[in-house]
Amino acid sequence: MPTPVPKVLVNEVSVTFESHRRSVLALDRISLQAHAGEFLCVVGPSGSGKSTLLRVLAGLLRQSAGEVRIEADHPGSPLTAMVFQEHALLPWRTVRDNVTFGLENRGVGRAEREARAREMLAMVGLTRFAAHYPHQLSGGMKQRVGIARALASDPEVLLMDEPLAALDAQTRTIMQEELLRIWAALGKTVVYVTHSLEEALLLGDRIVLLSARPGRVSRIYPVDLGRPRGLEVRASPAYGALLETIWARLREEVVRAMAEDRGPDPDRASA
Amino acid sequence: MRRFGRWLAEHSIAVGSPLVLLGAWEWASATGLLREAFFPRPSTIAVHLRQLGADGTLWGHLGATLVRIGWAFALAAVLGVGIGLAMGLWRGLREGLDPVFAVIYPIPSILFLPLVGFLVPPGEIAVVVTTAVTSFFLIAFTTTHGVRQIDRVVVEAATHYGARGWRLFTAVLLPGSLPSIFTGLRLGLGFALIVVVAVEIVSTSRGLGALLWLSWQILKVEDMYATFFVIALVGAVLYHGLAALQARLLPWVQDVADR
Amino acid sequence: MPVALLALWEMASRLALVSPRYFPAPTTIGAVLVDRLTAGDLGGALLVTLARLGLAFALAAVPGVLLGLLMGIARAFRAAVEPYVAFVFPVPKIALLPFLLIILGVGEPAFVLTGAASAFFQIVISTLGGVRTMDPRLLEVGHNYGAHGARLFWKVILPAALPAIFTGLRLGLGLALIALVAVEFIAAKSGLGHLVYRHWQMLSTPEMYAAFALVGALGLLLTRGLRALQARLLSWQEESF
Repeated sequence: MPTPVPKVLVNEVSVTFESHRRSVLALDRISLQAHAGEFLCVVGPSGSGKSTLLRVLAGLLRQSAGEVRIEADHPGSPLTAMVFQEHALLPWRTVRDNVTFGLENRGVGRAEREARAREMLAMVGLTRFAAHYPHQLSGGMKQRVGIARALASDPEVLLMDEPLAALDAQTRTIMQEELLRIWAALGKTVVYVTHSLEEALLLGDRIVLLSARPGRVSRIYPVDLGRPRGLEVRASPAYGALLETIWARLREEVVRAMAEDRGPDPDRASA
Repeated sequence: MRRFGRWLAEHSIAVGSPLVLLGAWEWASATGLLREAFFPRPSTIAVHLRQLGADGTLWGHLGATLVRIGWAFALAAVLGVGIGLAMGLWRGLREGLDPVFAVIYPIPSILFLPLVGFLVPPGEIAVVVTTAVTSFFLIAFTTTHGVRQIDRVVVEAATHYGARGWRLFTAVLLPGSLPSIFTGLRLGLGFALIVVVAVEIVSTSRGLGALLWLSWQILKVEDMYATFFVIALVGAVLYHGLAALQARLLPWVQDVADR
Repeated sequence: MPVALLALWEMASRLALVSPRYFPAPTTIGAVLVDRLTAGDLGGALLVTLARLGLAFALAAVPGVLLGLLMGIARAFRAAVEPYVAFVFPVPKIALLPFLLIILGVGEPAFVLTGAASAFFQIVISTLGGVRTMDPRLLEVGHNYGAHGARLFWKVILPAALPAIFTGLRLGLGLALIALVAVEFIAAKSGLGHLVYRHWQMLSTPEMYAAFALVGALGLLLTRGLRALQARLLSWQEESF
């Protein structure tokens, strides 16, 4: 096995939200790495700051302390591209124009943009829908557009914020398979936030478990299950044991978070 | 097939019901059930309408009204959208102007006629400016609201994909507020018509409002009805025309809901 | 900000940077306002306008809501009535005034009805919209839990349409005020609108501005008041825009 190259380095990162009445510590000295080409999953109870961590990586939010480094191997490529939870497509742009939006902003020429959009739409299976508007698509298709938009800008690291959470179970299963196919084809580094432990076990090389608020790295689990993770892998004792181990710890965190939510402080910041 | 049957039934009612009403009116006026002095027969009104059109009277008045509405609407739209966008983008400006607007906006525009007359040369310019006042506020309000209701996640995503400054404005904030702006333009156009008719009644001798009022004063009841019909037609064309234009220009808006 | 504007105006008028004849100082207008509200014509005119507004609103609200609900429930009825509503809704209701003057003669009924017509169509359209845009799943829930016929109407349809009805009433009241003031300005010989007109013709500008300000205050009070009332009565609404 070759020595893993660190692609994403998060060192002692803390985030504090200041409002006029109080300040809330969302992330508390988070440290982790993602290796080049790795599929890293982040799980944790609601309010553990999973999305906050992703927003810091995306540069949408500045950390209050600590350091984030993303290794840039291809000059000219953006460091990150994010797939948002509610897809966040621009409703007034067609599917094609949504996919090319990032390229347009970087001043990439029209011909190259179109070619890139064709390629990405073919990859997510939406070639026929290039001229549609988002409201004409199903939830699963919208999220495919979100993925194509992220891939089109050819980022160093792909960030995904619970991208499949809003989909129905069958669509989610199919999308998970497609995601793995695309990841295998492109070899991108992925940081993937989810609240589903099963999803993380299906997708991830490693799983980072965050604690209830304030978010801390509770533990990092390697997933040594081999790929593809079909039904027989999921029926194997190794899978069951890992699921049980992580779930026991996650359960503790969830219960702690719920207890805190029911706690005596009536005007806490909402989750 | 059953759906088509229902569609057909509803549409024949929609077309048939006005025809039945017109027929009943014609009959009632002809037989003296309705006093013809107040309710002339629809056929008589149609004859008078044709006469007004043939001798050119109607076109002069209609033209005057349309030109006034056009200028007033253009004035209100440019200023309203401009200031509305600025208020949507800059919080300080919004908080400063909101209370001023809140006080002025509910004042019926016709009352601005004297005030505007003190500020600008009386005559056509005063008529146009007065007509523009309420439309301006409506358009500014809806535009501000349009900017503010844009989904913050969409803005965040756009920023993440490199849209900043002017680009963020033209690619995200402006298109995002366009549906709301269009609603404002439609309401504003409707109000411009209301106000221009009222102003024409009070202070001008040309225009549809003036023609309506004159017909009343010299008791030409048929001309009154004919003029009213034309005013209603202008209103309907402006209102529904702009709705059709919106459907055409903003295809991504799911449904153009009338509120 | 409004205070700063008023101060600026006061200064400009006092220093005669603008003609005090056309733009009297706000303090002068304020003095006239207070003076005439209790002793002069202003208080009387306010009461006249308020009485007309109340009457017009009542005449529009009850039939407007009923017609809107009926149109929302009965498809055939809507098909028959909608063409008229769609045709008359965008028409400036002030254009109805000459007809009402001819049929009813010059007097209160014609004035009040013009105001009522203005509010009526807005209330019908809003109410109809409220019934038509209600979540169809609510109807299914209603059926499923045994609400049919009148029960379904009272327990599900009406509450679901209530926010839209209230919005219609609020907009309608505003439109009635606009129409009534215009009618007073044009044809009536009493009320705040007429007062603005008369003082304009006589160029007694402080009185004109005082009446003007009173209309503005009335409009502000009505729109703000109804909005607060809506927030209070329909507290289950997430946001009353």
